[in-house]
Amino acid sequence: MKKRFFSKSFRWVFVLLLSLFAVFPVYWMFNTSLTPVEGLFGGQNLIPPLGNILDIFNVFSTDVPIWRWLKNSAIVAFGTTFSSLAMAILAGYGLSRYRFYGKGVLGFALFATQMLPEALLIVPMYALFMSLGLLDGFLGLILANTAFVMPVAVWIVKSAMDSVPFEIEEAARIDGTPRLGVLTQIMIPLAAPSIAAASVILFFDGWNDFLFASTFITTPEKWLASVGLASFIGEFVTPLATVFSAAIVFTIPAIVFFLLMQKQIVSGLTSGSVKG
Amino acid sequence: MAKLKREIIVGESRIYPYFFVSFATIYLILFTSIPLLRGFWYSFTDSLLLNPREGKLVGTKNYKELLDNPEFYNSLSKTIIYATLVVIGSVALGTIAAIAINEKLPGRALFRSLLTLPWAIPGVSVVLVFIWIYNYDSGVANQFSSGLGFGQKGWLIDPSLGMFSVTLASIWKVFPFIMLVVLAALQSVPEELREAARVDGADRLNIFRTVVLPHLIPTLRIVSLLMTIWSIRRFEIIYLLTGGGPSGATNNIVINVYKLAFENSELGKAAALGILGLLLSITVTLIYFFIDKRQEKN
Repeated sequence: MKKRFFSKSFRWVFVLLLSLFAVFPVYWMFNTSLTPVEGLFGGQNLIPPLGNILDIFNVFSTDVPIWRWLKNSAIVAFGTTFSSLAMAILAGYGLSRYRFYGKGVLGFALFATQMLPEALLIVPMYALFMSLGLLDGFLGLILANTAFVMPVAVWIVKSAMDSVPFEIEEAARIDGTPRLGVLTQIMIPLAAPSIAAASVILFFDGWNDFLFASTFITTPEKWLASVGLASFIGEFVTPLATVFSAAIVFTIPAIVFFLLMQKQIVSGLTSGSVKG
Repeated sequence: MAKLKREIIVGESRIYPYFFVSFATIYLILFTSIPLLRGFWYSFTDSLLLNPREGKLVGTKNYKELLDNPEFYNSLSKTIIYATLVVIGSVALGTIAAIAINEKLPGRALFRSLLTLPWAIPGVSVVLVFIWIYNYDSGVANQFSSGLGFGQKGWLIDPSLGMFSVTLASIWKVFPFIMLVVLAALQSVPEELREAARVDGADRLNIFRTVVLPHLIPTLRIVSLLMTIWSIRRFEIIYLLTGGGPSGATNNIVINVYKLAFENSELGKAAALGILGLLLSITVTLIYFFIDKRQEKN
C-alpha cells in the first residue's frame, strides 16, 4: 500500500511538471503581452505586473489592423468549413451506406491526400490559380484549404454514420421519406456531435492557414491574421506587448473551441483516422 | 452489416452512391489530382514562376541537377532527422502522458485540458512565442540556462542547436494529439482482461506489458505513421522559426521546395524536389504497411 501511494504521488508530480511544460509557452504569451517594454529586456519577470488582463484587448485600438485581419481569417475559415462540410456529409454518407465500384480507390485516395506536402501542390496550384485569376483573393484560399482538409472531414463523417444503426434509416425509408430527407432529417442529426467536431477542425484549418495565405495574397488589406502576425517576425517597431496581444486575440477562439469540443474531436479523429 | 447494406441497394437505382460521392471526388480530381499531375509534369520542364505554361521539356535534367547537388542530401537528411526526432519525442511523451493521466488522479480533468492546450494553439502563435522564448539576449530560455550555469545559448542562431530548438517546439505542439489518441485506446482496453491478469497475480508492470501494451500497439503504429508523414510535410513552424537556418541546419525538403519556387522562381526544379519528397512519404508508408503485414502474419 505504501508503495502504491508513492507511485501515485510520483505520478502526480510528473503530470504536474508535464502540464507546466505544456502551459508555459501559452502563459508566456500572456505574460509578455502584459509586461511593459522596460520589463522585457534583461530578465522578464516570471509573473507580469498584475495590471488589468483585459488590457490585451487594447490591441484593437492600436495601429495594427488586427480587426481586419481577423475578419479576413474568419471569411476563409467559414468558407473552408461550409464547402468542406457540404461535400464531406454527402461523401461520408455515400461511403458509409453504399457499396459501389471504385469505393476502395476513393478511400485510398482520401488517405493518400495526407501524404501530399502542401509545399509541393502549392506550386502547380499557384500556376492554376494564376490562370483562373484566383490569386490574391479569398476564394482561392478557400479552394486550396478545402482540398487538404476536406478528406479528413469525410473520414470523420463516414465513421460517425457507420455507427448509426441501419434499421433507423430503413424504417424511415419504408415510411416513405425520400433519400435526401433521410440524410438531412435522420443521419445528420444523429451524427451531429461528430459533424460539430469536424466543423471545428475545418474552421481552424482555414483560420490558421499560413502557407497558402502568405503565397497567394499580395495585397496587405487582404492579409489573414496568420500572415499579419508572421509579418512581426524580425520587425522591431511594433511593441512586443502589442504583438502578443494580437497573437492572443487570434489564439483564444481556437483554445475555446478545442477545449470545449475536445471529447467530440478526439472521438472523431480516432474513429476517422486511426481505425482507418 | 454487409447483408443490410445489400438491402438498400436492391431495387434501387445504382446511381445514388455515385451522386453522394461525386462532389468530393470531382473536387479532389480538380484540386488535388490535376495539380499533382501538373507538378509531375513541371518537374520535367524548365518552367519559371511567372510563366509556368511556357516551360520547355528538359527530360530528367531537374532530377539530375538535384541528385548531383550535395544540398539535396543535406535537406533529405534534415527531413529524416527532424521527422525521426519529432516522431520519437512526441510518441514517447504523448504515450507517457496518456498512461499517467489514464488512472484516477487529483485534478485529472484539469490536467487533461492543460496537456491538450498546445494542440489548439495556431502554428503562427507557436512560432511567435518560441522565437521570443529562444531570443538570445532576453529570452526566458537563456534566463533559465544562465541561471543553471550553462550560459547563454544561441537556440535559433547556433547551427548545432537549431534542429533541437525547432524539434522541441514541434514536439510541444503535437504531443497532445498522440496523448489524446492513446488515451482513447487505453480507455478501450477491456477491464475484464486487466482483472483476469490481476487475479493471476500479475503486478502493474506485468499487466501493462501483457494486457495493455498489445492493445496499444496497433494504435501506436498508425499514429506513428501519421506523425511521420505529417512531419515530412510540416512547413510553417520550421519556415517561420528559422527559415531553414541557421546555416542550413533545418533546411528540409519542403522548405527547399518553397524557396526554389517562390524565391528562385525555379518552378520546374521545385516540382522535381517536391516529387522526391513525396516519394519519401510513400516509401515510409509502404515500410509501415509492410511491417504491419509481417506482424499480422506472426
